[in-house]
Parts: sequence; C-alpha cells; structure tokens
Amino acid sequence: MRGSLIALAAAGLIATGAQAQEELKIGVLVTLSGAGATWGNAMKGAAELAAEDVNKAGGLDVGGKKYKIRLISYDDQFKSSEAITAMNRLIAEDKVKIVMGPMGSAPAVALAPITSQAKVITITMAFTPKAMNADTPYAFRPVLPTGIFAKPQADWVVKKLGVTKIAGLFPNDETGQAIFKDNEIAYEAVGAKFVAKEVFERERTDFTPLLIRIMSTDAEAIELDGNSPQTAGLIVKQARELGWDKPIIRTGGDATADILSVAGKEAAEGVYVHQPLNLGMPETKAFVDRWKETYKTEINGFTPFFYVNMHMLFEGMKKAGTVDDTDKILEATLALKDFPSVLGPVNWTGKEQFGRNHQLSAPFYVGQIRNGQAETIATCDANTCK
Amino acid sequence: MTGTLIAQSLVNGVVLGMTYVLVALGFTLIFGIMRMVNFAHGEFYMLGAFVTFFAFAQFQIPFIVSLAIAAIIIGCFGMLIERVIFRPFRGNELNGMIAALGLAIIIQNAALIMWGADPKPMPSVATGILKLGPLIFPWSRLYVIGAAAVIIALFYVVITHTSLGRAMRAVAQDTEIALVQGIRAERIYPFAFGLSVALAALAGGLMGPVFGVSPTVGLAPMLKAFIVVIIGGLGSIPGALLGGLLLGIVESFASTFLGATVSDFLLLALVMLVLIFRPWGLMGVREA
Repeated sequence: MRGSLIALAAAGLIATGAQAQEELKIGVLVTLSGAGATWGNAMKGAAELAAEDVNKAGGLDVGGKKYKIRLISYDDQFKSSEAITAMNRLIAEDKVKIVMGPMGSAPAVALAPITSQAKVITITMAFTPKAMNADTPYAFRPVLPTGIFAKPQADWVVKKLGVTKIAGLFPNDETGQAIFKDNEIAYEAVGAKFVAKEVFERERTDFTPLLIRIMSTDAEAIELDGNSPQTAGLIVKQARELGWDKPIIRTGGDATADILSVAGKEAAEGVYVHQPLNLGMPETKAFVDRWKETYKTEINGFTPFFYVNMHMLFEGMKKAGTVDDTDKILEATLALKDFPSVLGPVNWTGKEQFGRNHQLSAPFYVGQIRNGQAETIATCDANTCK
Repeated sequence: MTGTLIAQSLVNGVVLGMTYVLVALGFTLIFGIMRMVNFAHGEFYMLGAFVTFFAFAQFQIPFIVSLAIAAIIIGCFGMLIERVIFRPFRGNELNGMIAALGLAIIIQNAALIMWGADPKPMPSVATGILKLGPLIFPWSRLYVIGAAAVIIALFYVVITHTSLGRAMRAVAQDTEIALVQGIRAERIYPFAFGLSVALAALAGGLMGPVFGVSPTVGLAPMLKAFIVVIIGGLGSIPGALLGGLLLGIVESFASTFLGATVSDFLLLALVMLVLIFRPWGLMGVREA
C-alpha cells in the first residue's frame, strides 16, 4: 500500500515536472554601438518581438515540452575580435544553439569556422558572399544582399537618370570591399562605370576632403551602398553642403531614417533609396505599427526579415521535435514553403547564386526621398525593377 | 582646378584645426596644471554635443546661448568630477589615468543607455554656401572657424588677464613656489578641470551640426587631441594651438590629395617622427 502511494506521488511529481517550463536560450550577437547600431537594434528588436509572440502564447511547444524563450545579447561593436569573444561565450558558457547575428561581414567571416564547427545556427545580415555559401551549412541570411539587388536597381536608376559615371564611397573592410565588387559588376552590366572610388575607415565622420576629390572628377552620381546608416547621412549632408547637386543613390541597406535624421529634410531631398518593405501590405503595416508602439522609433526596413527568419526557425524546431539538434532543425526549416509571414508568403532561395539555399526571398522596392518621406517609385524582383 | 582644391583643403583644414585646438587646449591645460592625462576628455566633448542638442533642437534656445549653457553645465559637472573622482589621485599620474579611462567608459555607456545609439537630428546652424569664384565654402564650416576663434581669444584673456588664470599658470609652472606665494592649489584644480572640459564641451556643441550627435562621437576627437599635444608639447598652450592647426591642415591636404586611408596613416607616422626626434613636442619643455 505504502509502496504504491509513494509510486503514485513520484509519478505525480514527474508529471508536474514535465509540465514545468523549460528555458530556450537564444543568442543575439550584433552591433549595438557606433555607426551600425541602427541595424543591430533592428535585429535585436526582431528577436525580441518574435520571442514575445512565442512566450505570450505560453511558450514554444517542442517535443511535448513548452519552452520559454530567453535572449542573451552581446555587442560586437562591428569588430571581428569582439564578435569572436562574444560567440565563444555564447557557445561555451551560455550554451546556445541559435544566434541572431552576426551582423557585419567582417565578423561573419571570422565567425563562420567557429559556428560551423559548433553546429550553431546563425541569422546574419552580412552581405559578403563568404557569409552564406557552400562552406557555411548553418548560416541563414534573411535580407537580400547587394549581389542580388544591385543589378536590377542599378539598371533601373541608370536608365531613369541617364548617368554613366558613378563615384562611390566605401568603408575599408570586408563589407565595403564585397559591396564595391558587386556594385561594380552591376553598374558595368548596364553600361555605367565607377570613375571615382573613395575608401575610408569605418569610424570616419569628416568626408569633405573625399567629396572634394570626387567633385573634381566628372562623376555624375554618388553611390552610397555599404555605408552604415549614420555614415550615409553624414555623406549626404556634407555633399549637399559642398554644393553637390547631382543625384545621390543608396542602393541597398535601409538607411532612410538615419539619412533624414542626420542630413535633414532639405539635404535628403531627392536621394534614391532601397526599400525592403511594402507598406501597402496589411501584415507588413501591422508589424511596422507594432514596432513603433513598442520601441517608439522608426522601424528599420531589415527588421521584418529577421523576425520572419526567427519564426521560421521556431516552426522548424516544432516540426523537427528538437531544440538542440541543429541538423534536424535546419532540415525542417528549409522544408518550409510559402511560409505565411508579415512579408507575405516567403521561400528559400540562393542555391544557384551562393551555393546554398539559405537566403530568404522577397520582392524589394526603389524609393526616392521626397519632403521627408521615402516614396516608392519602383517594384523589383531578382531580375528587374518596374 | 588645383588652386580650387588647395583653397578648399585649406579652409577645411582650418575648420578641423580649430576644433582640434579647442579639444587639445583643455587636454593640455589639465596636464600642465594637474599632471594628469584625462582619458575621459572625449566624453566631455560628447556630453557637450548632447547638451547643445537638447538646448538648441528641443528647447529652441538660440545656438550661441545653447553653447554657453553646455559649457557652464559641463564645466560645473567637470568640477564635481574633479573633487569626487580625481582628488584621491592627485600626484599619482598612472592611477589618475586609469581612473579617467574608467570614467570615460562609464560616461559613454551611460549616454548609450540614456539616449540610445541612434544619432540625434541636429539641425544646421548656418545653411548655404559662400561662393568666391570657383571656391565653395559651406557657411556651417566657416561658422565653426569664427566661433572657435572667439572662444580661443576668450580663453587667452582668462588665462593672461584674470588672477585665476595667472594662478593656474603659476601652478603649472611650479606648484611648490606657487603654494609658497599663497596660491591655493586646492581651489585651482577643480576650476582648471572645469574650464578644460568646458572647452571640450564647446567643441562638441560647435561640431554637433557638422559631425553629428551620438554617444560615440567623443572617441575620434580624443585621439586627435592626443596627437595634437604630442606634436605640440604636453602642457604647452601655444603648442596646442600650433599643433591643432598643423594637424587639421595636414589631415585635410593629405585626405584631399592622397585619399583617406593614406592620410590616416600619415598622421600617425608624423606622431612617430615627432616622438623619435623631438619627444617633448614642437613647443614643449625638454624634461630634465
């Protein structure tokens, strides 16, 4: 009698134990200070909102257990050395298997061997082809890199503006170098070329000498791809101050809010920008409003992509029935087709271009800043803009 | 064409130079009087930029008044910091430096927490450009030259014509004799510190419309201040003036004619040359 009572009590304890919430730790490794902080905060916020969705619903239901998502964040200051330290900590001490990040190309390239070996899934913003390719089985990239959007956007801009001589300003690191290469290919394919290329250290704030150099060439437009949002704003401001009245183009990387904030409405007027979002889509608008309400700032165009990628991984975990086996999670996540999201139905692509289909595919838009707002003037896919 | 480039580079160089002078003056003042390397100097520049932003952009106070407010607030804050944090380290150069480094990290991260990493929308003070033939000078930059010149002139008057200024110079020249003469060094130190960081704050506020307002803007001026005082001589005020202008002009010319990356390394090469051949700086005093 007593034995069976004890057995019953033990069974009861085990049963309640199974109902108790487990914790799923997810790492966030992005740039939270300095020129790239806008994007880092975008990625961190995306992770936070996705985690909020899951936790509010009672937790992530995987393999019969409910997991509460807990985010562990580190700032890499856009430096590979800091990123490596933080990632080692996330893997060894915090024991995470999924990381939102790294953000920049230089940290991404530095971390790829570490995360591949530890089988840690990463969600990166890095535009360099080295960040997501045949050698990085665990990396995802939800935002379209220059390699994809530069050509259709350049094609459209060159035709519309009739310019053939471009001047570019690029940061002197992996991001800047990779983006310059992609831009060069894109512009040359449509008959334009770079007549000036100024390279500078990422922390620079005084661009007047570089702009003076550019103005002494016969450049007809300035291209700002690859620059952090704050830097892009400073360049626009200083260029207009020096009397540069020809077109300024920012092919890629949502920087509109910062360009307006730093350069001011007047200077930013007429700048061509890349827009990753279509606010005409109700799900997207609802997400943008949610961001504004939660964080009280303008959303960065990249945010929804990271939010969607995070949710797709959660779905992958549910389908695979595990939160630790990243190989199974990968398989299940990549099997998702036409996944309904705040961007509309999304799919994976990239096998042909990058050697691995871990690239999220979505349409994008070309906008022009008019009177303090970016107005959409063309819709694009991987091939053309209209 | 080259003439235009040279003239534009020169003006840009003087603008940069004047900013560097403002930041370096305070830096060298603290070293001259207190024998302390203030690693947190750049962060007071940053705080000055923020206070000016809040006064000018949010409360719509006229720019010059905003600058004055920033100088006074940061100056008083500096005096408080000196009493509270640096007094225990007086005479102890190394530990004072480390304390300053810690202070820099605290101030920068406090700013990050309070105000976020995104740059603040600082409106321009002077818009439009001055065209002299083919030369184009943005008014916003010419404004900086003018304002900085006024501030430096005022500083000069304070240093040479007020008793407090003369007392500071006496303490800098020889603390013991100054004490013997009846100068209360205890009173001088907080005032000197406050004055020096007020200068940095003014520089930050003045350059806010040009270079932006965010928690990390203080790092670059800090490094430049170091370079200026090494070239000009640690503790020498004329040295800071000369070194600042020289640095600004060299940097501007190098960036315009050789590109940004070459310019960056050229400046540091210049520092190395000075350290090798004339380590006490162009106008510094050779240490016995």
